[in-house]
Amino acid sequence: MSTATTPLAPERPLPTPTRESQPHWDGMREGRFLLQHCSACGKVRHYPRPVCPHCFSMESEFKEAPTGGAIHTWTVCHHPFNFFFKATAPYIVALVDMDAGVRVNAPLRGVTEADIKIGQRVKLGFEPVNKEVTLPFFVAE
Amino acid sequence: MVHPLREKAAVSGIGETAYTRGTHKSALALQLEASLAAIADAGLSPRDIDGVVPYFPGGGIAEDFIANLGLPDLKLSLFVPMGGATCVAAIQSAAMAVASGVCNHVLIAVGRTGYSGARVSTRLQQFPQFALAAEFEAPIGIFAPAQLYAPGARRHMELYGTTERHFAEIAVVTRQHAILNGNVVMNKPLTVEEHHASRMISDPFRLFDCSLESDGGAAIIVSRSDQARDLKKPLITIMGVAEGHPESPASIAQRPDLLEFGLAKSAPRAYEMAGVGPKDIDVAEIYDCFTFTVINQLELLGFCKKGEGGPFIMDGRIALGGELPINTHGGLLSQGHVVGLNHVIELTRQLRREAGKAQVKDAEVGLVTGYGDMGDGSIAILRRAA
Repeated sequence: MSTATTPLAPERPLPTPTRESQPHWDGMREGRFLLQHCSACGKVRHYPRPVCPHCFSMESEFKEAPTGGAIHTWTVCHHPFNFFFKATAPYIVALVDMDAGVRVNAPLRGVTEADIKIGQRVKLGFEPVNKEVTLPFFVAE
Repeated sequence: MVHPLREKAAVSGIGETAYTRGTHKSALALQLEASLAAIADAGLSPRDIDGVVPYFPGGGIAEDFIANLGLPDLKLSLFVPMGGATCVAAIQSAAMAVASGVCNHVLIAVGRTGYSGARVSTRLQQFPQFALAAEFEAPIGIFAPAQLYAPGARRHMELYGTTERHFAEIAVVTRQHAILNGNVVMNKPLTVEEHHASRMISDPFRLFDCSLESDGGAAIIVSRSDQARDLKKPLITIMGVAEGHPESPASIAQRPDLLEFGLAKSAPRAYEMAGVGPKDIDVAEIYDCFTFTVINQLELLGFCKKGEGGPFIMDGRIALGGELPINTHGGLLSQGHVVGLNHVIELTRQLRREAGKAQVKDAEVGLVTGYGDMGDGSIAILRRAA
């Protein structure tokens, strides 16, 4: 076994799903991009919440949504602010206008910083980080 | 019809501690030290304070103020949880409290150990308003305000051609102003080249685009204008004050327009309450958590059109002696980070004509903004009424 001098690996921050968001994270784990839709007026909303801000219905359902989208903007994180991300910095995080009508913020892979443009097409991928949690990332479409 | 709150309340006292990097004092001690200074500045006794708005989370709560200042009859205890927009939004709450007769003198106070205590990415975890960011942003590597606000700055650059030269102008001018003030963390000149050579934090923000992590305390007293008139200092009235909350307030990612936030709603209301417009402003203290944030706010305040903030700030316009001097104390970028209460203190000094080497000649009317909590925006317009 390891000795007391073995450094602890920094822990990755993980989402703590709420009663509202649990179906979304369950979908991610299954490789399905599930978004909350109002059962009354049909409008999509993200992040998940109890009440539809358009018609105030509290009934909703999670439906699978398309994974394509276009880059709205981005940042390149150089200073990690968190020990876990020290090893991966610098990393690009893209904010994407999904075709499904919401935005998703996730790491952008396989694209160099100088080539990123507003409106560039990307698609969402699924990266399992443990048995429970799968996180999103983007690659060029 | 004149707004019922216009000039009914005044900033009657101001106080601050030394701004440092490193202190043995607690955030509560800094907050109380600044509070005692503000009370003395107004010519009041601690016993006169009957309302408190402590910055939250961090520092003390109302119970601490009663226990330390011996407040005999506290009538109002409030938190205004709006991040960097808190202090200026608290002026609205305090003005309502004194104008309605609930209180006579409301204390707004901040104490912070941002350098010697917990750093920003840790502090934010205490905020209930950051629950969504913790669930959806932290796991993919977004923790700190620099990372949360950088995408908006990048979009402004892509859409409007704003450049890092514009960002540098804010940093350099703010530093020039800081050097004129004796109580600042950053007291050496900064050049455009040094700005451009500073390390990247979260693109497009470099180190010198980011505000300071510092230790210090700041406090102000808001009093009913008829009572403030008889106090020690020139009467500085609150002409207009407002807070505004953006769409998708707890998630920048889901906001339809990243460059349109709370100030877009609060600024028109404050101007209307005050009965003045951008052309009447002699000096402006703009919340500067990041250089770009100043450019964005100047647009929303109506000093220039959307997208024109970059060119607007060039050629000395925002420096002392220019058309619109801003952040005449050195701001959060160079003086210290006490959540913008130092901006309110500086504006009050300018209107009292107590700003020393940074004094804007004949300053009569000025404005101050707060910005934070992922896009809340507050504004106060003050006037020298003495």
